[in-house]
Amino acid sequence: MSGAKDMDRNETGRREFFSRLARGAAAAVAGGVVWGGLVREGQNAPLALRPPGALSESEFLAKCIRCGLCVEACPYDTLQLAGPGSGEPTGTPSLKPREVPCYLCTDIPCTVACPTGALDLALVSTDNGRTLDVNQTRIGLAVMDYHNCIAAWGLRCDACYRACPLIDKAITLEHTRNERTGRHAMLLPKVQTDVCTGCGLCERACIVEEAAIFVLPHEVALGKVGDNYVRGWDEVDQQRVNPDGGAADQVDQSGAGALDYLNDGVLGGEVDDD
Amino acid sequence: MALSRRDFMKQAAAVSAAGAIGMKVAPEALAAAQEAEKGWKWDKGVCRFCGTGCGIMLATRNDKIVAVKGDPAAPVNRGLNCIKGYFNAKIMYGKDRLTQPLLRVNDAGEFDKQGKFKPVSWDKALDVMADKFKEAYNELGPTGIGVFGSGQYTIHEGYVMSKLVKGGLRSNNIDPNARHCMASAVVGFIQAFGIDEPSGNYDDIEYTDTAVMWGANMAEMHPILWARITDRKLAEPDRVKLINLTTYTNRCSNLSDTEIIFKPQTDLAIWNYILHEIVYNRPEMIDQEFVDKYTVFATGPCDVGYGMRSNPDHPKYTELERETMVKQVRKVLSEAEGKTLAHLGYKAGDTMENKRAAGAIKHWIIKFEDFKKGLEPYTLDFVAELAKGDPDESLESFKAKLQQLADLYLEKDRKIVSYWTMGMNQHTRGSWVNEAAYAVHLMLGKQAQPGNGAFSLTGQPSACGTAREVGTFAHRLPADLVVANAKHREFSEKMWKLPAKTLNGKPGSHYTKLLRDIEDGKIKWSWVQVCNPWQNTASANHWIKAAREMDNFIVVSDVYPTISAKVADLILPSAMIFEKWGAYGNAERRTQHWKQQVTPVGESMPDVWQAMEFAKRITLKEVWGETKVDAGLTLPDVMPEARAMGYTDDDTLFDVLFANKEARSYKWPDPIGKDTLNTLAEGDKRKVAGFEGYGFFVHKYLWEEYRKFGVGHMHDLADFDTYHKVRGMKWPVIDGKETAWRFNADYDPYVASKNPGEQFAFYGPALKAMPAGDLAGPIKGDKVKLPNKAKIFFRPYMDPPEMPDNEWPFWLCTGRVLEHWHTGSMTMRVPELYRAVPEAVCYMNGSDARKKGIDDGDAVWIESRRGKVKAHAELRGRNTMPPGTVMIPFFDERVLVNKVCLDATCPISKETDFKKCAVKVYKA
Repeated sequence: MSGAKDMDRNETGRREFFSRLARGAAAAVAGGVVWGGLVREGQNAPLALRPPGALSESEFLAKCIRCGLCVEACPYDTLQLAGPGSGEPTGTPSLKPREVPCYLCTDIPCTVACPTGALDLALVSTDNGRTLDVNQTRIGLAVMDYHNCIAAWGLRCDACYRACPLIDKAITLEHTRNERTGRHAMLLPKVQTDVCTGCGLCERACIVEEAAIFVLPHEVALGKVGDNYVRGWDEVDQQRVNPDGGAADQVDQSGAGALDYLNDGVLGGEVDDD
Repeated sequence: MALSRRDFMKQAAAVSAAGAIGMKVAPEALAAAQEAEKGWKWDKGVCRFCGTGCGIMLATRNDKIVAVKGDPAAPVNRGLNCIKGYFNAKIMYGKDRLTQPLLRVNDAGEFDKQGKFKPVSWDKALDVMADKFKEAYNELGPTGIGVFGSGQYTIHEGYVMSKLVKGGLRSNNIDPNARHCMASAVVGFIQAFGIDEPSGNYDDIEYTDTAVMWGANMAEMHPILWARITDRKLAEPDRVKLINLTTYTNRCSNLSDTEIIFKPQTDLAIWNYILHEIVYNRPEMIDQEFVDKYTVFATGPCDVGYGMRSNPDHPKYTELERETMVKQVRKVLSEAEGKTLAHLGYKAGDTMENKRAAGAIKHWIIKFEDFKKGLEPYTLDFVAELAKGDPDESLESFKAKLQQLADLYLEKDRKIVSYWTMGMNQHTRGSWVNEAAYAVHLMLGKQAQPGNGAFSLTGQPSACGTAREVGTFAHRLPADLVVANAKHREFSEKMWKLPAKTLNGKPGSHYTKLLRDIEDGKIKWSWVQVCNPWQNTASANHWIKAAREMDNFIVVSDVYPTISAKVADLILPSAMIFEKWGAYGNAERRTQHWKQQVTPVGESMPDVWQAMEFAKRITLKEVWGETKVDAGLTLPDVMPEARAMGYTDDDTLFDVLFANKEARSYKWPDPIGKDTLNTLAEGDKRKVAGFEGYGFFVHKYLWEEYRKFGVGHMHDLADFDTYHKVRGMKWPVIDGKETAWRFNADYDPYVASKNPGEQFAFYGPALKAMPAGDLAGPIKGDKVKLPNKAKIFFRPYMDPPEMPDNEWPFWLCTGRVLEHWHTGSMTMRVPELYRAVPEAVCYMNGSDARKKGIDDGDAVWIESRRGKVKAHAELRGRNTMPPGTVMIPFFDERVLVNKVCLDATCPISKETDFKKCAVKVYKA
């Protein structure tokens, strides 16, 4: 499974990132640099999962006044304020789905409680903020590590799929044949990126020792396709392209420009002499 | 390569997992794994959980199970498991495993019903237990005691308890929790084929073109079989059709070509619609030769009630409860029943007096014309109107689906398997619906062939192997024999070396009735084994009260504290599955044995040991004298014959039933048990209660004695040693070969001897001489003999006794989830499974909820005439409910849904309908 391999590779990077972060925090505590060092206003916490309706991380941090009203409003104690040593700007709200996921309250009390718009109702509603729609929530994105997913071994698990509040929409099952047994199918959970709310009920439910499905902020979880290619079979795909963008990032192989290159030197064996 | 100890273990686990799924392993990893596995021992086992019967392999080291893998050699699962199977090892080591006998005692340390549980010695526990037994037995006789058994008993445990209770104590008051799950299937098999259990096997999945789920959520309840069905669908997606008949959208709908949401109870009407379609509209599709040669038509009485208490004025029930209970006596017929019972002269609004409740099991042979006449009302229009279960679906759409369903069954050359589990079994007409399934398959000649047949899926790991084959039911003996048949008793007495007329011919109380008897003071001593009656039985409020407030003594043998243990007086700590030798029999007649892998934890001891130690405390003279059962039945004094057989008055039941001369001839050690623990034979390192083993191979003896009941009687099982060399075998095992499809000459050697020269023989011997009659009843005359014939039953649709109305507007259905097993006593202790599904929720339709101001996650009360329970509403989960129906799983003792459920049963099978009662739902 090439997808799994890719994921594995990305995964290693992210895990390293996680542990670096943890080490950093530990070092900070050990060094006694508790408050001053950690309360660095405005510093992004790239792995923090923010409450429903949160603006982009930098905008969110700019607007969040650390009042804790969203945390107070959460009926499930999902949201926690970052304390010293957490690796996140102290006093900002976030969630750790493996401990307590977001249950996607339809009245979204956390977002409603935010006095500054750091949690923006417009992002969790339709009709420009008039009708709350918790399914618009984008806390992050569930990502799968198929290497450690027992469904990908062929076992019948799909606990994450059944835990998903948008079952068959945000997590679907992909059915493939198990060539080894010759008589069983694999039921593989698959996250639908455009529907997943990042609530983390899947991460919470995952039955392996360290969750094989976990929520990451979109900035960390998602790749990005360049603007130079549009899917020919998808009529709306071109909306993705920014016509004013445009990449001047080509690799300049010839170094000094085409003419200089063409006029400079001769072919064969002399490159090393430069 | 310097690997840490922890890394070593990790590598070993990874390599064994890789082996199970056929992955290649790097040589250095393999070497490391072999190093880590030093001191490991792998041996085969079988999954502790559902009736699928997946094979597993267990690794033990230092007397502890350290890893589990799916057994790649097991035909059922080929190395795979579901998430319950994945945690087979982890269920054994919960923090609150019961490790000591616990007795309710007063300050002086003596038994006191109002006392608190305190640890006592095994000797004290068993002495008190035996004393209390004798008190109850002497006062009330054999019906004054009762044993709650299990479809999760090992075969040996069920056999020991059946022999002890029936053969020793002369009581038939032993009944398994399988009564709650498989009894209707049993009645279907016995009445239609004369012998229990399916003709086909799981390989039908790979042979069939069509799988129809009739109230079987296989995607969650038989996860590995669902993986096989899915694979079959993937193999030929256009040819293979899957139809999911259900009362709400469940996980099977996801893959099915068609989902049919029907109104609870109307599955029988849908079967009858298919029969109507065959008989009235496309008679050319009847396999006439098959029907003529191998079947007869039959029917039975309808005024049979709903298995509730016969006395609706029972003083312990409230006015509200009586509103439903009175229907046991009489019921006003509905519009639908006016049509479906018209053949008996009834019309809507008539009152049916349920006079034949006691004779519900009776049936008689009818002519095809009668059969056809009975089916007359079940037109597409009538059935669609009656059965449409989703108010939001159009009638046209529903009709089209029913038509498609019938078309698939009727399509010539289309192979079709009908699967069902609790949807059809837990049903106040459960036996009838099972029979209706066979009727369709038999009419079309699509039964007992690869890929063709009606297949009842079992819920529990040994509902077939133990509860049914051993016969731990109140009316059964091993190998389909029954206590009510004098010849069967005589045969069993010989097998068990009992004096003639020791066995009691009056069937005992079924599972629910055991609890009713406790409430009525008719049972004062009971023993609960491998089940949790106070959580798993409907009308639970009554039973909890009866246990704690009545004069009785309740013993619960279990591995973890349960609701039943909480209401008990004595708790005995039991050994778990791999802490003892054992065997289970799965839904496809596959018998699978395993060996003891580890020493039981703490002072826990195997249930077989508990039974034998109890038996040591009962002497023959205490139970084999003249014994009054009831006003009409007194069991004779069999002591004179017992003495003539060489027994003495003071011999114990242990001496006679379990440690007799033949038993002791099974020597231990035995080559098959080389290097294997055997607590019963040789004791173990703990020497619990000073026990150092019985000195003989108890399990081999029990097996060899037990299998004699079936050999040559269509229930042939192989010898003990064989099962330890193979991955299970499907009975009957003849000349060392298993039988894949029964009743079909191509596969089943019994056909040639029973019905020479014929392709089929439905040779089951039970109920094969029946009176003849018409739809109204039997007509006096000679009984018709029916050798090798199956019965095609006509059974009419009838309403359940409790249906939603203005006051109680919702149907309540209970059931399970993939993550948890039954009452959750094991799986709720596995942290991963607990975290995945920490509580039972109330699945509810979104628009129903909105109307009541209920939001997702809100706490709601679910209340019936019997009680109420609080749960969180779930509007968007794995189950999508149609308006008017709610569903709550029963695994969570904190959401004790059986306080709400109604203990109405199928009047024939006595299996409770856990799928239907009327409730109101409101915000808490």
